[in-house]
Amino acid sequence: MARMKFLCDAERCIECNGCVTACKNEHEVPWGVNRRRVVTINDGVPGERSMSVACMHCSDAPCIAVCPTNVIYQTEEGVVLHDKDGCIGCGYCFYACPFGAPQFPNGPAAFGARGKMDKCTFCAGGPEENGSQAEFDKYGRNRLAEGKLPLCAEMCSTKALLAGDATELSDIFRERVLRRGKGVEAWGWMTAYGKDKEEAK
Amino acid sequence: MLTRKSTHSTGGARQLRSSAARNLGQTMDRRTFLKRSGLGVGAGAMAVQLPYNLIGSADAATAESAGAAGAETVHRTVCTHCSVGCAIDAVVKNGVWVRQEPVFDSPINLGAHCAKGASIREHGHGEHRLKYPMKLVDGKYQKISWEQALNEVGDRLLKIRAESGPDAVYWIGSSKHSNEQAYLLRKFVSFFGTNNMDHQARICHSTTVAGVANTWGYGAMTNSYNDMQNAKAMLFIGSNAAEAHPVSLLHILHAKENGSKMIVVDPRFTRTAAKADYYVRIRSGTDIPFIWGMLYHIFQNGWEDQEYIRQRVYGLDKVREEVMKWTPDKVQEVTGIPEEQVLKVAETLAKNKPSTVVWCMGQTQHTVGNANVRAMCILQLVLGNVGVAGGGTNIFRGHDNVQGATDVGPNPDSLPGYYGLAAGSWKHWCKVWGVDYEWVKARYASEDLMTKSGITVSRWIDGVLENPEAIDQPGGNLRAVVYWGHAPNSQTRGAEMVEAMKKLDTLVVIDPYPSATASMAAMVRKDGVYLLPACTQFETSGSATASNRSLQWREKVIEPLFESKPDHTIMYAFAKKFGFADELVKNIPLVKDKQGWDEPVTEDILREINRGTWTIGYTGQSPERLKLHMKNMHTFDVKTLKATGGPCDGEYFGLPWPCYGNPELKHPGTPNLYDTSKHVMDGGGNFRANFGVEKDGVSLLAEEGSASKGAELQMGYPEFDDVLLKKLGWWEELTDVEKAAAEGKNWKTDLSGGIIRVAMKNHGMHPFGNAKARALVWNFPDPVPLHREPIYSPRPDLVEKYPTHDDKMKFWRLPTLYKSLQDKVKDISKEYPLIMTSGRLVEYEGGGEETRSNPWLAELQQEMFAEVNPKDANDAGFRNGDYIWVESPTKAKLKVRAQVTQRVAPGTVFLPFHFSGWWQGEDMLKFYPDGAAPIVRGEAVNTATTYGYDSVTMMQETKTTLCRVSKA
Amino acid sequence: MKTRIRYMLAASLAASLLAGCGEQPQVAKYEDGKYSGKADTRPWEAGAFKGDKGAWEQAMRNRVRGQNEYKRVE
Repeated sequence: MARMKFLCDAERCIECNGCVTACKNEHEVPWGVNRRRVVTINDGVPGERSMSVACMHCSDAPCIAVCPTNVIYQTEEGVVLHDKDGCIGCGYCFYACPFGAPQFPNGPAAFGARGKMDKCTFCAGGPEENGSQAEFDKYGRNRLAEGKLPLCAEMCSTKALLAGDATELSDIFRERVLRRGKGVEAWGWMTAYGKDKEEAK
Repeated sequence: MLTRKSTHSTGGARQLRSSAARNLGQTMDRRTFLKRSGLGVGAGAMAVQLPYNLIGSADAATAESAGAAGAETVHRTVCTHCSVGCAIDAVVKNGVWVRQEPVFDSPINLGAHCAKGASIREHGHGEHRLKYPMKLVDGKYQKISWEQALNEVGDRLLKIRAESGPDAVYWIGSSKHSNEQAYLLRKFVSFFGTNNMDHQARICHSTTVAGVANTWGYGAMTNSYNDMQNAKAMLFIGSNAAEAHPVSLLHILHAKENGSKMIVVDPRFTRTAAKADYYVRIRSGTDIPFIWGMLYHIFQNGWEDQEYIRQRVYGLDKVREEVMKWTPDKVQEVTGIPEEQVLKVAETLAKNKPSTVVWCMGQTQHTVGNANVRAMCILQLVLGNVGVAGGGTNIFRGHDNVQGATDVGPNPDSLPGYYGLAAGSWKHWCKVWGVDYEWVKARYASEDLMTKSGITVSRWIDGVLENPEAIDQPGGNLRAVVYWGHAPNSQTRGAEMVEAMKKLDTLVVIDPYPSATASMAAMVRKDGVYLLPACTQFETSGSATASNRSLQWREKVIEPLFESKPDHTIMYAFAKKFGFADELVKNIPLVKDKQGWDEPVTEDILREINRGTWTIGYTGQSPERLKLHMKNMHTFDVKTLKATGGPCDGEYFGLPWPCYGNPELKHPGTPNLYDTSKHVMDGGGNFRANFGVEKDGVSLLAEEGSASKGAELQMGYPEFDDVLLKKLGWWEELTDVEKAAAEGKNWKTDLSGGIIRVAMKNHGMHPFGNAKARALVWNFPDPVPLHREPIYSPRPDLVEKYPTHDDKMKFWRLPTLYKSLQDKVKDISKEYPLIMTSGRLVEYEGGGEETRSNPWLAELQQEMFAEVNPKDANDAGFRNGDYIWVESPTKAKLKVRAQVTQRVAPGTVFLPFHFSGWWQGEDMLKFYPDGAAPIVRGEAVNTATTYGYDSVTMMQETKTTLCRVSKA
Repeated sequence: MKTRIRYMLAASLAASLLAGCGEQPQVAKYEDGKYSGKADTRPWEAGAFKGDKGAWEQAMRNRVRGQNEYKRVE
C-alpha cells in the first residue's frame, strides 16, 4: 500500500526553482500563489543549502485536526487534500501548518476565489471527478489519476526532489547515502553530524 | 536578502510593483482562456513516446472530461534556454500547447528541467510577444501589414546597398536559430553581398572556439555533460553551472556522489561553489597566473604525463619557461590565492585522473580570453587528460544552438563549417549551393571584401560611430542594422549603443521578443525602426546542436502564434524582395504555409548542410537519422551516450559531430574528441593536422604509437587528399564516380565523400591526419599565454608589470584600443575602486526579454540587483534592500537594489546581465510597443560596461571592469 | 465508474485491520463522518485505470523509477 511522500535531498538541491515553475505550469497556478517554493539557508556562504518545500502531506496532519469546517481529508495514499467548496478561508490551517503550505490567494478565477485556501495537492486534484474541468479549475491537474507522480519531482533538475511511495523513496535515498560514504570527507556528512566537531577544532 | 527568491517568499515579502500587478490579471485570463476553449484538461497524455504511461491512454482521450473536444498529440522537442539540450514532450490539443511532460528516456536530461525548462510551455501563450509587424512613427510603434513591412524594409535596405554598398548593412543573426536557419542566414547575407554579420557566439565563446581550435583542431567542448560522470576530479573556473546549466548538475552531482572531487574557482561564491568540495576565491581577470601557478606545482612535483606530452604535444618547452616564472608568491600577489590552495587544486587534478575542467564566460569574456582558454588546454595536455573519457575540456556553451550557429551559421570570418573566406572556400560552397561563383562575387562590393572578415557584433556600434576613414571598408560607416534574434543589452557599452542607434538610417528587429531593442531605439528616434514578429523554435521544426555536439531534431509543436513567421520563411520573403530567391533555395523545395507563404523545407536545408560541411563532420546527420534517435532515446546509455541494440545500435546519441562521411557511411558520431582508444569508425580520433607538418624544422605530426585504435599507420600523418591517397596506393579503392569527384580535392572538398570513406572505413585512418596539439600557438599575439591586466584594472601597480597589448589599427575592420586606453585610465581605480563583474541567474536567459516575459519565471526574480559585500555597503552607507547607484567610468549609472552579501568578496560588485527596460534610473515602459513589454524590467548591466576586446576574436570584456556604489 | 466511497470510512477500516496485527495504525484516525466535505474518487477509479488498482500501482512504481537515475546509470 503506497504512502505518498516528498523527499528533498539537500545535498543535491541547487535552488534552480524548476519544481516551482513545473508546478505553475502543470496547474496554471496564478501569480502570487506558491504551492511550492525553495528555501535556502546560509545564502552565499559556505554551508549554503537549499530545500524545496510544499505541503508535506503529514501522516497526522495538524491542518486536518484544526479545520473548523472539517473539509481537509487524507486519501488512502496519504495525500492531504481539501474541499474548497466548504472552505471558509479562515486561515486556521495556516496557523497549524509547520511549513507554511496553505496559501490564501485573492484572485478573480475559480482557483483563488474568495480567499479559499489553496495548497499543494501532490498532483492529486481534489474532491471532484478525476480529470474533470471542475477539478482542474479548483485544484489543478490530477496526475495521480493518470498514473503519474507530481511534476515538480518528475522534472527536478538534479533529481533532488523525489515524490512517490515513501518506501521506494527511502530506497533511492539510501543508495545515494551509501555511495556518498561516511566520515568527515564524505559528501553531506558535515551537514548531518559534523557541525559541533568542526567548531571544536 | 531581497531579490533572490531563496530568502523570502515571492508572494509575501516582495509586493508586486505596478507593472507586475497588471500582469496578474493577464495570468488569470490565460486560465480562463484555456477553460473557454475547452482545452484546459486532458485526462491523460496520449503517449506514443512516453514509456511509463501507456495504460488506458486511448480511453483517456474519450473520457467524459468536460470540454474534451479533440485528441491530444505529443510532440517531442528540445528546450531553447541553454546548451544542455533537454528533451520535452509537448502535449497539444486543438492546436493549443496544453501540457508538458518529462522525457525520462532522454539520455541527456532524463526528464529533468530547471526553472526555464519546466516553464517552457509558456511559449505556447506568448502574451508579451510582438504580435504583428510594427513601425516607429513619430516615436510610437504602429501596427503595419507584413506586405508593407517587407516592402518598406526591403526598399530601404536596397537603397542603402545601392548608395553605400552592401557592407553598409549589418546583420546580427542568432544562436537561437536552428542549424537550418543559421545556415540559411549565412547564405542569405552572403547573397546580399557582405560578411558584416555575426551572432551571440562572438560574445560568449568566440575566444574558446579560436583558442581551442588552434590548439588541437576543433573549437568545441571535447567531451560531454554525460561523460563528466567518468571524471575523478572536476575543476570549474569561470563557470556557474548550477545557474547557467542546471541540468548538467544532474551528471556532475552524480559523479560527485560516486567520489569525484569537485572544485570551483571563481570571484563569487556561486551556487555551484556551494555544491563543491573545495572553493577558491580568485581576483577577477587573473586566470592565467592561477593556471600557471598550478602548472608550476605540477612541473615541480613531476605530475605531468611525460609520455603523452612526448607523443602528442608540440611546443611545451616555451610554456614551461613562462610557467616557472610564476612562483607561488607572484601568483598570490596577482590572484590573491595563497600557495596551499593553488597546490591543493593542482594536486587534486593531478592525482585523481581522469580529471576534467569546465569553463564558461568567466574565462572567455576578457581582453585575454583567447589566452585564458589556451592556458586551460595546456593544463589538460600536461596532465594527459585530453582525448580521454572523464577528462577533456568541457566548455559549456550558452544558447541552445550557439554551437550549431558557430559551426554553420552567420559568422563574419567564415562560411559554414569553418571553411574560411578564401576563394577556394567560396567555390566549394557555391558548388554545394548550385550557384555560380562569379555571380556571388558580383554580389559583393569587391573580391577583397568577399574574402575579408566582417565587423563583429561586439563592435557594430563602432561601425556606426567611428570616423569613416578609420574603418577598413570602402563604404565607411554602417547605415542599417538588422537584429535578427539577438538582444542589444548583451553587448557592452550600452550608453554608446543608443548613440549608434540614433545615427542609423534604418534599424530592423526580427524576433519574437524585440522589445529591448525596440525600446532603446524609440528612446532616441522618431522613425526608421521596424519590428517583425518571428516565431519561436516550437512553432517550426529543425535541428539544434547541444554543447556536447549532439544534434537533436525538434518537431513542430504548434502553428506560429499571432502573425509571426519562422525565420527561414522570413529570409525567403526578403530574398524574393532582394531578387535572389531562386539562388537561395536552388536545392531546397518550398511548401506553402497556412497563410500561403513559401517556406523552405527544413529537412532539405539540413540535407544541403550535410552535402557541404565535411570539415567538422556535419555530413552524416541526415534528418532521417536524427529523427530515429529522437524516437529511440531510451536505447542510449547515459554515461557513454552509445546505443546498445535497437535501430541506432552502436551510434552515439545525436550523432555528435564530427559524424564523418555521408549518412550511408554510418559513422556513429564522436562522443569524446581526439580519443585514440577507439577506432575512427567507432568515434575515435586524434589531434588534427591543421597547421602544416613542420614548424621551424620541428615536426608537428604525432609520434609513433599515438594513432587511433586500429589505424593502419600507427604514426603521425598529414591530412588526406587525392595525392596522399595515390601515394599510399589506395586511389583504386574509390569508385569511378568518387574518383571523378575526388580528383584535385582533399577530404574537405571532395563532395563524394570517397576520400573519407577509404581512409576511415578501409584503413582506420583519420581524414584530418594525426598531429600534435599546439601548446605554442605561433599565429596568435601571445603564442604562450601571458598574463595581462584588464584595461580597467583595480591594480595600477600590476598594470605596469603586466601591461595589455598595443593598439591595433585594422582589426576586424576597426581600430581597436589597448595600451593607449589602459595608460589613460591607469589610476581610475582611485575614483572607481570596486571590480564590476556580471553573470547569470537561473531563472533568466541571455538578454532576458523572453524569460522576463514569462510570468512563471518573472515572479521568481522581480528586480534587478547588485551583490555588494557588507564592508563595501557599510563604507558607502547603504543597507540591504536600498536602492543604490552603480556608476562605471563611462559615467553611466545604474539604479538597482542592493543585495548585501558575502557571496562576493570586499572590492567586488556582481550584477546579473539579464535585465533591460530601465535606463539610468528611468523605467522605459513608454518606449515599448503596446502589449510587448516584458513583465519584469530593470537596469541592463551593459549600459555601464566599458571598452575592452580580446586580441584575437574581438570578444568583449564584461567580467572585469570598475565601478563605484552609492545610496540612491 | 463513479463508485464514490467515503474515504474516511475506508481509512479507519484499514487502520483497525492493521491494529489487529499488532501494528500501530499508519493512517491517522479520524472519527467517522467527521470529514464533512465532498466525497472523492480514488486515483485508480476514474479515467485511465478503470478501477485496476494493480495497474495503477505499477504505473506509480514506474514513475518513481524515472526519478532515480541509478536505474539508468551505473
